[in-house]
Amino acid sequence: MEVQKVRLRIYGMTCDDCAATISKSLKGEDGVLEVKVSLEDGLGEVAFNPERVKPADILKNKIFAKPSHYKATIDDQ
Amino acid sequence: MENDTERFDLIILGRGAAAFSAAIKASELSSGGMKIAMVGVGPLGGTCVNVGCVPSKYLLEAANAVFRPRHPKVPGIEPASVKFDFSELMKNLRSYVSHARDTKYVRVLENYGNVKLFTGLGRFIGKKTVMVSDSEGNRKVVLSASNILIATGSRPSVPNIEGLKECGFQTSDTIWGLEKLPKSVAIIGGGAIGLELGQALLYFGSDVTIIEALDSLLPQTEPEIGKSLRLHLENEGMKFMLKSRVGSVRAEEGMKFLDVVSPHGKEVLEVEEIIVATGRVPNTEYLDLNMAGVKTDQRGLIITSRNMKTSASGIYAAGDCVSKSMFLETLAAREGVVAVSNMFGEDIEIDYNSSTWAVFTNPQVAGVGMTENEFASQNGSCSFRIFSLENLTKASIMGETDGLIKITVDPKTNRIAGMHIMSPNATDIITEGAYAVRENYTIDDVVATSHIFPSISEGIKLAAQSFIRDITKMACCVE
Repeated sequence: MEVQKVRLRIYGMTCDDCAATISKSLKGEDGVLEVKVSLEDGLGEVAFNPERVKPADILKNKIFAKPSHYKATIDDQ
Repeated sequence: MENDTERFDLIILGRGAAAFSAAIKASELSSGGMKIAMVGVGPLGGTCVNVGCVPSKYLLEAANAVFRPRHPKVPGIEPASVKFDFSELMKNLRSYVSHARDTKYVRVLENYGNVKLFTGLGRFIGKKTVMVSDSEGNRKVVLSASNILIATGSRPSVPNIEGLKECGFQTSDTIWGLEKLPKSVAIIGGGAIGLELGQALLYFGSDVTIIEALDSLLPQTEPEIGKSLRLHLENEGMKFMLKSRVGSVRAEEGMKFLDVVSPHGKEVLEVEEIIVATGRVPNTEYLDLNMAGVKTDQRGLIITSRNMKTSASGIYAAGDCVSKSMFLETLAAREGVVAVSNMFGEDIEIDYNSSTWAVFTNPQVAGVGMTENEFASQNGSCSFRIFSLENLTKASIMGETDGLIKITVDPKTNRIAGMHIMSPNATDIITEGAYAVRENYTIDDVVATSHIFPSISEGIKLAAQSFIRDITKMACCVE
């Protein structure tokens, strides 16, 4: 299994607790191996097992779903 | 990527309805955090507010105000002449357009500090990189973003008719600059734009002839409505040359002469002005879509999924530049929202089937869902009823009984598959049809729902009731 990484542009974070909350929720996603969330940059880096989860699924994580005010898009620049 | 590339989260190519709708939705979803570049040329707001829905509806309202007193519907009321200054009227139309653009677009954008406006033509120079240049192609700035929305809209198409360009003509882009009412007008194209402009000019006093290549008007609607509208407009004085095409045009002594080939042979039409209303073409040719791997159809329209995703990852499209069958401002705005929502990981699709469309003639025409022919060709059979406004009390009182309501249902379920209306206020009451199609209402649902008597909307209930009884033998308000 080859570990893949995806970078997320994360919106709605205002404090360290926000970053921690998002990080915890993403780590709970099946197939997600490692998560680093930067409050300062508004970015998240997620390492995942592509056989078990896809970037589109990570965007659908409950932490980004209504009524949460945290939102994310894929950042592939 | 070059050093001077300015990075954004989202680049929107275009600045019309789809672009604004997308920018606002993206700003809302990101709590104003999404850094957005909006790139385009021309006045903010695009076609609808500047040269489309807004000026055309203004013109039609003014035309109705001139026409109605001259043609009272109530016996005992004498016709009254209405004086008007066409030049002043057009000046106020342009002033209103400017006001609408300012309040609905220019000032709205001031609320979104995360949106940066770039004036210039944007074109792809990489999969996620766009170069903005001036009208002469000189590079102004290079932008990049993970997500890009193409919403560059469309413009009037002009057929290749000999002598047309030399002769001069108007389109729905240019007609708003008219200062003088033309005494006679030939309109090439009998679609929504041609009919609306034609009726407005007819009401002001122009002699109007519509030249249409097909044998009927408004092919997107039910044939009964196309025929009924043509008869109504003919009774008002509009002339039609159906199954006809313009071979060539020439100008002599201030007049324009169209050589028309019709089923009656060759005819020469002499008019003061020509309006070309033969459809629209997408603004996609300068985008260098190949650089980004975005595919188009044969007409240059961008192919998308129902999620508004193009063939290139991270690139979406919305509005009149998208390959589809309906080109509407409201649809463009919805497509913009769908595209942006999907960038944020949602999984929503555009619903073309319950999208309403309209023609703002008098009477108005509006529709939603499938026609009888469309449903029958897809499903083998269908059930429909046509309700004439002659049987509608409100229409009789108004003296406006030209029109009909046609409902098509799935015979297996009685669910409403389509509703097409020609009536006063059709553009308002069609929303009932939109709910019915979107929510799979049956004719029983419509019958069981209270409708005001007497009203035009009651016609929808009567049309539904006509599936279960002969409404000519029905007293008022039978449930």
